[in-house]
Amino acid sequence: MSTVRILGIGSPAGDDQAGWLTVDALEASGVSRRFAPGQITSARLDRPGAGLISLLENTAWVILVDAMQSNGKAGEIRSLNLEDWAAYSHGLSSHGFGVLDALSLARELGNLPPRLDLYGIEIGSVIPGAAPGAEILAAARQLADIIASGLDDTLAG
Amino acid sequence: MSEQRRTVAIHVPVLTRVEGEGALDLRIEDGQLLELRLRIFEPPRFFEKFLEGHNYTEVPDLVARICGICPVAYQVTAVQALEKLFGVDPGPWARDMRRVFYCGEWIQSHSLHIHLLAAPDFFGCNNAIELARIEPEAVRRGLRIQALGNELMDLFGARSVHPVGLRVGGFHGAPALSQVNAIREKLRAALPEAEALIRWTAGIAVPQDNQLFTSVAMQHRERYAIEDGLIGASDGLSITPETYEAHFAEYQEPYSTALFSTYHQRPYLVGPLARLNLNHDRLPEQLRALLVDTGLSFPSRNMFHSLVARAVEIFHALHEALRLLESYRVQDSPHVPVTPRAGVAYGCTEAPRGLLWQRYEMDDAGRVVAARIVPPTSQNQLRIEEDLRLSLLQFGLDHPDDALQLHCEKVIRNYDPCISCATHFLRLNVERK
Repeated sequence: MSTVRILGIGSPAGDDQAGWLTVDALEASGVSRRFAPGQITSARLDRPGAGLISLLENTAWVILVDAMQSNGKAGEIRSLNLEDWAAYSHGLSSHGFGVLDALSLARELGNLPPRLDLYGIEIGSVIPGAAPGAEILAAARQLADIIASGLDDTLAG
Repeated sequence: MSEQRRTVAIHVPVLTRVEGEGALDLRIEDGQLLELRLRIFEPPRFFEKFLEGHNYTEVPDLVARICGICPVAYQVTAVQALEKLFGVDPGPWARDMRRVFYCGEWIQSHSLHIHLLAAPDFFGCNNAIELARIEPEAVRRGLRIQALGNELMDLFGARSVHPVGLRVGGFHGAPALSQVNAIREKLRAALPEAEALIRWTAGIAVPQDNQLFTSVAMQHRERYAIEDGLIGASDGLSITPETYEAHFAEYQEPYSTALFSTYHQRPYLVGPLARLNLNHDRLPEQLRALLVDTGLSFPSRNMFHSLVARAVEIFHALHEALRLLESYRVQDSPHVPVTPRAGVAYGCTEAPRGLLWQRYEMDDAGRVVAARIVPPTSQNQLRIEEDLRLSLLQFGLDHPDDALQLHCEKVIRNYDPCISCATHFLRLNVERK
């Protein structure tokens, strides 16, 4: 049985909760109940650093959602492909060991799953303890629908 | 005219592979090193001030926020200091489990530093991703060990980033036996990996750079000091945390937001190498035999042995956690009652990067009146500058700027400075005239 692991990455700082909110919305949609128990699992991760690498193992498909800042409009959803982070090679600091660092290291070690979908939600304000913006909440729900449709199309067929 | 006569200014604007942000400025005139400054410029974080007015029950969660890598050190030091003031004994179970919790932090922090921050320097790599191309098995092993350290922190702290399990009087909860049994098997399986790590780090060619310095670390009569003991030094000092301020002082330099520390007006070293220099005879026999087998002997005057010192401490932390969890029993009440009292609380433990000292003045309602926290990196800051000066002169000042910069960064990374704790790290600026 192929398994899917959905990982929402974030921190309790305003819009940086975008990844968590997407996982919340997916869980609320009940999408995992449409498939065999354990086939779809999800987790909310708080800045996992290199710990993300082990979470990419022993699964056929990983869907990863993180907050993104790229001069876009808050709430925009982007699907990132391998070319978006293939050239990433600058020096690393453990404090700044982010998702792309972990994915680059995982790729070098041959730890990437057979299928990896990476989504970014453009964010605005990142204030510790603050609530996320309305556009982030809406984007998380929208992305959850996109992911759920993708799961239905791929796994139900 | 030789190259040594030139005048050069090197500014490393951002040092990578360290915790936090800072810079290094070098000015070389006529072959003389005229200025060397380790500039820590991250803004002060005011944690000591934030603590004022907060109840003792809030202190463990507040101090955990000082560092994402070594929160346990800040928490354990604080709760032990406050328990001592309040006349509270959390009992042998809580004391042992705090040592296990602390071992988890040493394991994850040391493994992260060895594999992601320091080791790439010795293989001609810019980062861990390049290192993974030539030493994939070593990096995989390092990540496995680091993950196990995080698991130990999760076990007692509910999460490895800013854990929340510790409280004055003990722990908020006790892990289930099934969880402990599962992690015991992992610890047992990791010991051969840690032995291989020691052999791997011992086999890495490092510069021969012997320097005279004073090592300062906690010492315990019976065991390798982590969370308990007296403050010792290689000159024979042996004091309680209460008398720290009579021997150690802090001062401010205008170019750094971190305070500089001195021991009897001189720089000193804290951290894994200082600990191993003072406490290698407290390591278990198996580990001491392994060190003999690798040809390494301690005390060492070569700061580049910090890499292998961290590997040795990883092995010991795994061994110690396994020993303490062998007879694990779930506690009905993992904490004892606490009644606060007014007074001054002193605490000291060995954070992964070295001695961590704290002082809290408390009122009779259990609120913090004043706090003072002296992290390892500010204690090492003056020693890092001294090391850079000596090490650069031995290396030679006539190297190209990029070679000088790399050498400086390697020296600095030996200390695994945590600028975010200290208050924060590295940009190199070199001026040559």
